[in-house]
Amino acid sequence: MHGGSAVIRIMIVGGGLGGTMVANQLVAKLYPEIVRAKVKVSLLSNSAEHFYKPAFMYVAFNQFFEEELKRSERSLLRPEIDFQVDEVTRFDFPGQTLHTRSGQRHGYDYLVIATGCVPAPERIEGLKEAGDHFYQYEPARQLAQRLGTIKRGRIFITVSFPQTPNVPHQCGIAPVETTLMLDDFLRRRGVRDKVEIVYTYPTTAQLMRNCLFLQRPTGEILPGLFEQRGIHFQRGFTLDKVDPDQRIAYSAEGDAQPFDILMATPPIRAVDVVIASGVSQAQGNEGWLPTHHETLQVYGLENVYVIGDTVDLPVSKAGGACHNQAPVIANNIAGEIRHGSADAIYDGRVQAVAQMGLNAGMPLWYDYTHDVLPTPPNKLAGLLRNGFNRGLYWAVARGML
Amino acid sequence: MDAIPSDGAQAGATPDLAIHEIVQKLQPLLDSGRLDNLIDLLSIASDIVDLLDCAMVEKLATLFEQTTSVSWELGNAVRMAKSQTQALEHPDSLYGLLTLLREPDTRRGVGLILRTLNVIGRQL
Repeated sequence: MHGGSAVIRIMIVGGGLGGTMVANQLVAKLYPEIVRAKVKVSLLSNSAEHFYKPAFMYVAFNQFFEEELKRSERSLLRPEIDFQVDEVTRFDFPGQTLHTRSGQRHGYDYLVIATGCVPAPERIEGLKEAGDHFYQYEPARQLAQRLGTIKRGRIFITVSFPQTPNVPHQCGIAPVETTLMLDDFLRRRGVRDKVEIVYTYPTTAQLMRNCLFLQRPTGEILPGLFEQRGIHFQRGFTLDKVDPDQRIAYSAEGDAQPFDILMATPPIRAVDVVIASGVSQAQGNEGWLPTHHETLQVYGLENVYVIGDTVDLPVSKAGGACHNQAPVIANNIAGEIRHGSADAIYDGRVQAVAQMGLNAGMPLWYDYTHDVLPTPPNKLAGLLRNGFNRGLYWAVARGML
Repeated sequence: MDAIPSDGAQAGATPDLAIHEIVQKLQPLLDSGRLDNLIDLLSIASDIVDLLDCAMVEKLATLFEQTTSVSWELGNAVRMAKSQTQALEHPDSLYGLLTLLREPDTRRGVGLILRTLNVIGRQL
């Protein structure tokens, strides 16, 4: 609880969906204190632009232009928020201070780390040179050029999980979504009968073994879905290294598979400044912050919260997770300021509409205790997803939905 | 009849029981001749789904964003300005208003309003 007349400084680092939503919701929640200049909310981002990251997946299939998937971050933030484009280069947690690229120092009373994660294909030998992915704009454009010109051959799909136990890769359903989109895309191009698609999954997928998806009910429907479309699938392929010259993917299980296009979900890691903070206990120097699974506070630190991809929780690193984490963090910081306790609880809920092929969608939700119950993909859900991509997302980021 | 659960336990009901349950609930509508209205509504909903395609959804979604972002920005601005004004003990003096007008953000705002009027005028 805070007494006296000093302004309480809430600092949010990261202008992705998690940081943007939590900033807007904090202003709404603490509006009386903000009006009386008792609380100040600031957001630091290393970019003046905000990217709708799930659209990169569509870029790989020529469904989105870059201009359509970004907005100015300022336009997504409420005017009460002090927004600065500056990159945090060091967290001084004992001193409650942030050091930035421009040489400034920012003190804080509450900190929210929303710096996301970055693809790290360089962590697998040969993957950066020979593999493609759709988790950033430029790589997705490169993949689009390859998928748009392949006439015959073999597209090999791999999924790499973090080494940290029970932490998923980015957006759990994305490899399934893109496999089904790829099938539709090649059919539209009229080359599907000459291009083999092979979907693979590693031996260990969070708590699951030798499966096709990280949750059992969805994993069980995938063989039927893939067989209908003539998509080959293989369990127990943990990508270990890639030979860029021979174009062969090797697995840790001892298998070797040739490819013309290697469409990989690559390893991921936290951003450099989070790894360098030394707070993470994650394996492989991945940098995930030790997160209280209910309050979303960082273990071992005072008044520090984490949202989105940087957590070490067993939930999807996706916007659908941030959407449910942001209100919890806003309520907990407001609770700490107003009566000295953080009482809101995150139940692990994640919701999304999965893109099951270029036209169909499948609404899904899960939490810490319930898996996704897959339903038949349908046109209406596909249109809902399209509506979300094109308009609803920006209302979500602004904290309106 | 008595064997049919009506306490929300339908999740585990067999198909026959589930259909029986649905028919029971529809019976009053059928008796009063109003079920046709619902069938018509379903038909219209189905027509709308048939008519919708990706391009139309994209246009509607863009329109949604344009509308909501403008109303959100205006609402935020009015709310913040109202709070600041209410916090003043006395109304702004004439000199205070002129000082406000000299601020770059105010001039940007005034410029936006004048340009908006200019564009509206251009379309008349």
